[in-house]
Amino acid sequence: MDDFLSRTEAMIAAWHGIAAPNEPARRMAADLASTIAAFEAVRDLPRFEDEPSSFEAALIETMEQPQ
Amino acid sequence: MTDLADLSLTEAVDAVRNGDATATELLDACLANIDAANPQVNATIWLDREGASAAARAADAAVRDRKPLGKLHGIPLAHKDMYYQSGKPCTCGSALRRDFVPDVTATVIERMAAAGAFTFGGLNMAEFAQNPTGHNAHYGDCHNPWNLPYITGGSSSGSGAGVASRFTYAALGSDTGGSIRLPASACGVTGIKPTQTRVSRAGVMPLSFSHDNVGPLARTARDCARVLGVIAGHDPRDPTSARIAVPDYEAGLDGDLRGLRIGLPTNHFRDDADAEVLAAVERATEVLAARGATVHRIALPHMDAVLAYGGIVSRVEGAAIHARWMREAPQDYAVHLSARLYGGYAIPGAYYVESLSRRGPILKAFAAEVFSAVDVLATPTIRFCLPTLADTDIDKGPPGTEKRFMAVSDYTRPFNYLGLPAVSLPCGFDANGLPIGLQIAGRPFAEARILRVADAYQRDTDWHRRRPPVLAAR
Repeated sequence: MDDFLSRTEAMIAAWHGIAAPNEPARRMAADLASTIAAFEAVRDLPRFEDEPSSFEAALIETMEQPQ
Repeated sequence: MTDLADLSLTEAVDAVRNGDATATELLDACLANIDAANPQVNATIWLDREGASAAARAADAAVRDRKPLGKLHGIPLAHKDMYYQSGKPCTCGSALRRDFVPDVTATVIERMAAAGAFTFGGLNMAEFAQNPTGHNAHYGDCHNPWNLPYITGGSSSGSGAGVASRFTYAALGSDTGGSIRLPASACGVTGIKPTQTRVSRAGVMPLSFSHDNVGPLARTARDCARVLGVIAGHDPRDPTSARIAVPDYEAGLDGDLRGLRIGLPTNHFRDDADAEVLAAVERATEVLAARGATVHRIALPHMDAVLAYGGIVSRVEGAAIHARWMREAPQDYAVHLSARLYGGYAIPGAYYVESLSRRGPILKAFAAEVFSAVDVLATPTIRFCLPTLADTDIDKGPPGTEKRFMAVSDYTRPFNYLGLPAVSLPCGFDANGLPIGLQIAGRPFAEARILRVADAYQRDTDWHRRRPPVLAAR
């Protein structure tokens, strides 16, 4: 986990010029490992056939019809 | 004598219209409650007493002169301090914007003013609308008027506490992960997050533009229907706002639930919930069933994806919008906010794109499966009995406090990614005397239906009429 956090901090510094502002920030950055795991668990749901997609169009397509 | 501030918003409008009260009297009643209870609750950031007094006198003159009166005529309102009003402060609950005075006015404020309302203050909120508890390191934590050491919910903390404390007849909040519904639940008031794109966001502080929503908190579903009817609809200043006609939300509040199918989710929305909270929600559905609704257990599809993708969208967009200040002045944020923003910079672009590109297809799949079986979903708004401010204080608490802090919004966040409308209303109290919230969600643009359910429930219950102890001395 320390290695993951070190690499994450280095990447944020390199790409954004931002350093960890405090210890809770480092804890939450370390917890990105769980974000990755959650994302990987649903990975590959996208299909080529789904694109192009539009959330706004989906809202209209699924909207409540006048009662 | 009845406290005029005890009137619901729609009752207050009628009182002004009928000559039973003046706008000046309504304002005075709100300010009297603020003077008495705000030192304990801390729901306001600024007040404009002189400006409000002048606006109230103008509103009273319009009544005397028999001018046309709008749907909110003569109603004093205060809002979450993130709605721009030209020439008035707008702190966004932050130190970074402590001295910010915008030169534009939010469309929703303009629409409420055109309907006859006037604004008298800015309400406390989470810094930049980014916490679910109501902590604020710069203006002081907002306290729950039902039991002061406990959280108000956030991020629209002052909106929830202010409406509950009879400081204002209604208040705008904003909802990116639950920030209208959470304080509505925690403070025992009613609040609606509309469908994504239903209400203009022009002139409103952004947080996560894919998930941000504007909506009201008030004491009743009817009040929310009134305000939503005023503010909803396409706005040329917000190109993301939907070009969908706005129905007459109040016209549908007839108490008739015959044929309505209510879904009680069997997954996610029961996970790790307190039994006391689940029992209150089950009892609430029994009340609705007595009006003709049927209740069905339903497993919700794609919840893992909704949660994973939704969290990524919010974190990345929030981080992006704060990047400059995070580089130049990270010390000006509260610890819990800079800590939360920081991780957002490490999430890859491919994750963000995948999360956004899946949003439409997931909504379509979710709606096809769920709303063919039921018309609305009923869940707790907050999964557990409310924690104290101390128990959820990341800035001062031990490691791990952040998990308790974020869990407050576990049951509200899914509807932001899905873009669905959801209303929270009070359905009981826990052993600490704190409100429990019932969340009703529906299809896109089903605000009329979920408000009808909420109104029907409030016809048979009185949770929404109860006054918090902080007002007991008055």
